[in-house]
Amino acid sequence: MTTRSMRRRIAALAAAAVLLAAAACTDSPGDAGTVKVGLLVSLSGTYTTVGEDMQRGFKLYLDTHGGKLGGRKVDLIVGDEGDGPATAVPAAQKLLERDRVVALTGLVGGATVDKVQTLTTAKKIPLVGANARPAFAPVGGKARDLTYTWHTSYNSDEPGIAIASHIKAQVGDGEVYAIGPDYQGGYDELRGFTDTFTKLGGKLANPDGKTVFTPFPTTENFLPYLNKAAQEKPKAVYTFYAGAAAVAFVKQYAQSDLKDVPLYAAGFLTEGSVLTAQGPAATGIRNVLNYSPTLPNPANQQFVAAWSAAGHTGQPTTFAMASYDAAAVLDRALAAVDGDVTGEELNKAIGEVGRIVSPRGDWQFEPTEHRPVQRWYLREVKADGPVLSNVLVQDLTTLPAS
Amino acid sequence: MDAYLIPAVDGVAYGLLLAIAAAGLTVAFGAGGVLNLAHGTLIAAGGYVAAATSSGTWTGLVLAVLAATVAGAAGGGVLAAATAALRGRGHLDQALLTFGLALAGGDLLTTVYGPDTLRPRLPAVLQATVTVGGHRYPVDRLAVLGIAVVVCAAGYVLLHRTRAGRLVRATVDDRAMVAGIGVNPRLVDASVLVTAGALAGLAGALSTPILGVGPGTADTVLLLSLIVVVCGRLGSVPGAVAAALAVGVVQTLGVTTFPTVAPYLLTGAMAAVLLARRTGLPAQARP
Amino acid sequence: MSTAARGSAAPWFGSQAARWRSWAPASLAVAVLCAVAASADPYLHATAARMLPLAVLAASVAVVTGHAGLPTLAQVAPYAAGAYTTARLALAGVDLALLHLLAAAAAGAALAGLLGVVLVRHRGTVVLMLSLAAAELTATTAAQWRSVSGGTDGLAGIPAPRLLPGLPPLLADRAVLLYAAAVAIAATAAAVILLGGNRQMLLAAVRGNEARAAASGHRVYAYLWAVHTGAGALAGTGGALLIHTHRWITPADVGFTTAALALLAVVIGGATSLPGAAAGAVAVLTVRDVAAADLPGHAPLLLGALFVAAVYLLPGGLTALPHRLHRQRILPTRLRRQRHQDLPAGSGAARPAVRSTP
Repeated sequence: MTTRSMRRRIAALAAAAVLLAAAACTDSPGDAGTVKVGLLVSLSGTYTTVGEDMQRGFKLYLDTHGGKLGGRKVDLIVGDEGDGPATAVPAAQKLLERDRVVALTGLVGGATVDKVQTLTTAKKIPLVGANARPAFAPVGGKARDLTYTWHTSYNSDEPGIAIASHIKAQVGDGEVYAIGPDYQGGYDELRGFTDTFTKLGGKLANPDGKTVFTPFPTTENFLPYLNKAAQEKPKAVYTFYAGAAAVAFVKQYAQSDLKDVPLYAAGFLTEGSVLTAQGPAATGIRNVLNYSPTLPNPANQQFVAAWSAAGHTGQPTTFAMASYDAAAVLDRALAAVDGDVTGEELNKAIGEVGRIVSPRGDWQFEPTEHRPVQRWYLREVKADGPVLSNVLVQDLTTLPAS
Repeated sequence: MDAYLIPAVDGVAYGLLLAIAAAGLTVAFGAGGVLNLAHGTLIAAGGYVAAATSSGTWTGLVLAVLAATVAGAAGGGVLAAATAALRGRGHLDQALLTFGLALAGGDLLTTVYGPDTLRPRLPAVLQATVTVGGHRYPVDRLAVLGIAVVVCAAGYVLLHRTRAGRLVRATVDDRAMVAGIGVNPRLVDASVLVTAGALAGLAGALSTPILGVGPGTADTVLLLSLIVVVCGRLGSVPGAVAAALAVGVVQTLGVTTFPTVAPYLLTGAMAAVLLARRTGLPAQARP
Repeated sequence: MSTAARGSAAPWFGSQAARWRSWAPASLAVAVLCAVAASADPYLHATAARMLPLAVLAASVAVVTGHAGLPTLAQVAPYAAGAYTTARLALAGVDLALLHLLAAAAAGAALAGLLGVVLVRHRGTVVLMLSLAAAELTATTAAQWRSVSGGTDGLAGIPAPRLLPGLPPLLADRAVLLYAAAVAIAATAAAVILLGGNRQMLLAAVRGNEARAAASGHRVYAYLWAVHTGAGALAGTGGALLIHTHRWITPADVGFTTAALALLAVVIGGATSLPGAAAGAVAVLTVRDVAAADLPGHAPLLLGALFVAAVYLLPGGLTALPHRLHRQRILPTRLRRQRHQDLPAGSGAARPAVRSTP
């Protein structure tokens, strides 16, 4: 054997040894009173802002509850979801198989939830999603098993459903122009509105009555779309955008021929840090969401105060709130589990948590679909003291309607 | 006709912005032989610096644009140093290096400036709108349009009427000849990359009021710049300007006129241009 | 392997030795795979299995970029064709793995054949940009063609394949890894063998001087088209593996990011070496998915550092590494020059022979 092939063999052995050593490290047992919880959120890529907000929300609950959930010390392991399943699934797999978490929470994107859900279901680990909830399309004619899937957020079509009758009342016989981003989340958000609105007898101002979808994420310049929309002379506009596109849309709306046409939106358009970037251009936008930082209930006042005390700039968002509630759900459920925590027992306990006292107002899980039955609110962007805020205007409706 | 006026103006404004963004890329490729995939990151860096420096006053605005240009030039210097060792190793190695620098640089930018989309604070006048032919149009875009025309004109003069510009153009055509007249082409390469970086920084500063700057900015402008540069023939500044205007118009008039094919429009148009031109064919290759 | 040292005396043996050297990353990869498969950690199995589709895609890019001399991002198109063909077959109830692989390879070859008609007539940066357009259009089509692709959210929970009728579906992590490794190694080896011998010389000649090759009566376009189409079959096979190892797909998985990672993996691996490209892909994914897991949010920084380090520390790619070590430490100076000449197309064995036509 030559020196070279010897060296190659040694290199191979070394590589194998490193991998095996890494494997060996995974089985270190935690303390008896400690549970591992996985938080998978976008910490890089397009949705980082939302991901960081969700991380803050979850940690805020932990920090205000002595770092414990259900009387157990929590070892919170954070994974990066990145831009979608390609990065999120490996991270989820690491949390599930290497860290052996008893629950997985967070998850920003719908596509990610769609894929990770199959992993957690196979492993019988509860997934407590705190943001996007996709339609969970049946696979090969079989409905998805949602036993281990929970959400503290909403279905993507609910904001539009919740606000449709309010907009119908405002525009009367006038037509509404619908525009949104060309991806699954956009279709869901806009469909919720257009279906409900037309069922109520409303008419869309769009040519052919079809919503305009703008290429996503490549569209940065909305002015041509907005000026074209103005030619249809709508009485109001309904839209959904989030993140960078939301900033561009709102800024350019105020600079377009549509400037004086009332703008209604799913609340993500003006939620969180995008509102700061939009500035005065966002003033007067009426939008719908399951939360407003100005809700007068005591749980919310406590939440907002804790948020400021933690040194976070701006007001808490629905993203932070839903993640905070995910921690609250796990807190209640873990308290109900005796002895060692397994995914199955924890999942059963989540099904029995009952009413959750939340900053958004009390809510509970819908028993078959495992998502909140909650109130939706109409909000308007106004100055709240020195900062712009999504100020509560009125209650809209409770969804899903029973 | 009236319906197309504003989108056309907008397309030109957007196109000229792209021309400035792409100019640095095309000059770096043509004169320096560097396929710089970190160009988008330099533009984003310029945008971040400008957004962070601006204060809402006119002085603040001038300072922001200067700071962004200097930051871009500094980034260009880093690239010049990094790519100097790779001369003669082919474009794919350069692509690997500059793509790596772009990824790392993008990560550093979001770590420093946060994940939000930032916009500069402008003087009030620039945030208003004017009415053109019965349509509203933002003043900041008109201002950018004006500055872009000036920058493009200055670039043309610099490239065609000064010794430095002639040297750059000569390096594009024939490196050996430039070396023959006693100028170190490596020095030209380095200054070209610094200048390209400065242009990138300037483009970043000019585009933030309109488009904002965030984690996705670098990728988007790199892709658009590459399309512009290749469609305008690599290394050619007038070509890049023409291609940029075409892309600008496609992205404004095109997407709203043909909404059903909007997602395919830009890449489809690029492929059509490249296929129609057929310069990729080495003439001697035909049997 | 001792022929390597002896062979340096004669040119023919020398190129044989270079061939062996180019298999060095492959044997290392097989050794690591065996170690991983032997371990008891399902996470390692699943992680390793997930890397193999990109490794096969990278190998197919190496065929087009390294051997045909066309730097391409378009191999994601046949990769996508193979993946969606497999996904639709599996969802329609056809669950034989071999059928999937054959159908995916055929779909990949068909699409690559179509694209090749256009791409092989161009060179350098133009081919790169045309292939970029193809990559972008692939992802856009996948996103828009909702009845096939499930839209932007893609497909999930695709049924696992079976090796033979009556056998249980391939679900266990270790079984999936062994199956994927076997397919990946077989497909890559087949490609290497098909590219060997006279064909390799011919392609090297075409890369080296296209005009001369054409003048001496070689049908340059036909050769390049055949290679491009064959590489499409390889990419299609990778697409089938993507579905078999992941059992989900989104349009983003067949878009520009994947195309760029595969091309960069080829540069890291060393352009003409298929095993090198596959190893490069594994290195890229190891950094992004495994190493970065402990530094959440900074995967781009680590990946960027890997690329920069690869450029400076591995000129000529992974494949050239054993050669460089060999040259520096073992061979007496007298032999170095000769060794250098032995390599087919000079150091081009390890470096992309890509010319740009500005």
